[in-house]
Amino acid sequence: MTHYAMVINLNTCVGCNACMAACAMENQTPVWDTHKWRTYVHDKEIGVGTDVHRRFFPRLCNHCDNPPCMSVCPTGATYKKANGIVMVNQDQCMGCGACAMACPYHARVPITYADVAKGREFYGSDYRRTGPSMDKCSFCDHRVEKGLPPACVETCVGSARMFGDLDNPTDPVAQMVASGVARPLMPHIGTRPNVFYIDDLKWRG
Amino acid sequence: MDVTMTYSTQDLWTWWLAVYLYTGGLGAATLAVTFLTDMYLKPHRNLVLWGAGAGVVLLALGSAMLFWHLLHHVAAIYILNPLVFVLQPHAWIAWGTQFIIWMMVWGVLYALPYARVTSLFKNMPVVNKVLEWDPVIKLCDLVTRFHKFVGWMAVINGVGVAVYTGLLLQSFPAVALWANPGVPLLFTVSAFSTAMAFLLLIMYTVIKDAADEKIRVLYERIDLVLISTELVILFSFFFYLQRGSESAMRSWELLFTDLGWLIGFIGFGLIVPFLLELKGLVKGWTSHVPIITASVLVLMGGYLLRHYFMYAGVYAYPW
Repeated sequence: MTHYAMVINLNTCVGCNACMAACAMENQTPVWDTHKWRTYVHDKEIGVGTDVHRRFFPRLCNHCDNPPCMSVCPTGATYKKANGIVMVNQDQCMGCGACAMACPYHARVPITYADVAKGREFYGSDYRRTGPSMDKCSFCDHRVEKGLPPACVETCVGSARMFGDLDNPTDPVAQMVASGVARPLMPHIGTRPNVFYIDDLKWRG
Repeated sequence: MDVTMTYSTQDLWTWWLAVYLYTGGLGAATLAVTFLTDMYLKPHRNLVLWGAGAGVVLLALGSAMLFWHLLHHVAAIYILNPLVFVLQPHAWIAWGTQFIIWMMVWGVLYALPYARVTSLFKNMPVVNKVLEWDPVIKLCDLVTRFHKFVGWMAVINGVGVAVYTGLLLQSFPAVALWANPGVPLLFTVSAFSTAMAFLLLIMYTVIKDAADEKIRVLYERIDLVLISTELVILFSFFFYLQRGSESAMRSWELLFTDLGWLIGFIGFGLIVPFLLELKGLVKGWTSHVPIITASVLVLMGGYLLRHYFMYAGVYAYPW
């Protein structure tokens, strides 16, 4: 069984934001509001005095194995595919926002009627969204089904984002996770996330 | 994974959700208390009509508040499915919606025979015609025959609504202030305390029946116990948050350094009404004004509790 996961290497992320742009265009997100992008690269200065460095921290939906956004969803719009990808059925989502309240990774964003109207103008006749909903990253499910990597992974100039199958022992992503070099965010919450990060701070010290 | 944390409150569910939680708890608990009083203490037409009326109006108001803020109103049809809590057993909104709907249905049914003999409804255009309609008369007979069954169905759903308001917040694991078993307890106790206050207010200012003295005294005593319980729960929250995770400690800082919380809610919303009702219990009051004042303060405090809870939930983001 396939179990998709992503590894993000913080050592090689240069903060170019190409992943954000690729995701926005691929998934037609509201580019006019950075709070509504499916993935976001945080830019943070760490350290004091002359010993300061910038950390670029990409975040996205962690496609948890125990997703709180799915368990609190009253309509069943949020669901998990057998391959591990957590999806939203736009038509079934009433946009109550409970998923956003439950998500510890700030991965759910509201798309309003106004966003949909603006999306029609911005993206033209190619616009796929039919109505408002709580949006999220889908690991570019439509691309993955065709054997392509997610748009953010394909466009990443530093190969900071890697996509693979945890159930395939020969997959580099599975090996990095199994070795412990790539680790999940806040595992104590019990969400069992499938996005893993390779630390940068320990190499900089 | 070494992370540098960012701490943040949310701006998605704000005052309007606090109104939803408040009116939900207050309306449901009011309905439950009045129906139990009518079934086991003293048959009381006015109290039942006020209880059912408050339950339906307040729940409708709160639900309208939530519905107004939905992103996609048509999709709300999915949670109206009576089997939604079987399909989504972990989603408290699914349970809550059904509790609200069925509490209203059973509540209206229970109050129907009383409404038929009340002059207000008998003189109301359209309503008076509906109440004299044959199927409605037969329905009233049926409700009278299964009086307690209908009452208990309304009460069970009402208690369900009151508990649900806390369970909803408890299901958000990222926020220490919300994701703990104290929240449903606190919200349920608060819901019943505000219901007692609301009913005391109604009984002292609108119904004003001297024969209700026993009920009023009982309500005052129950409210006193509920306020004490709320203070004990808040006392445990104080220590749980102060020595908890970073998310908990930041919520503690937001709450226990805020004068609105300390003086507004704990001071005027709990301690002052507690003292006023305690004095009434021990030595009595020569006027109803202190109990009316206490009731108004408890009602105000009930909203403040939920308002502050919504704004003080802190997320710990690892970036």
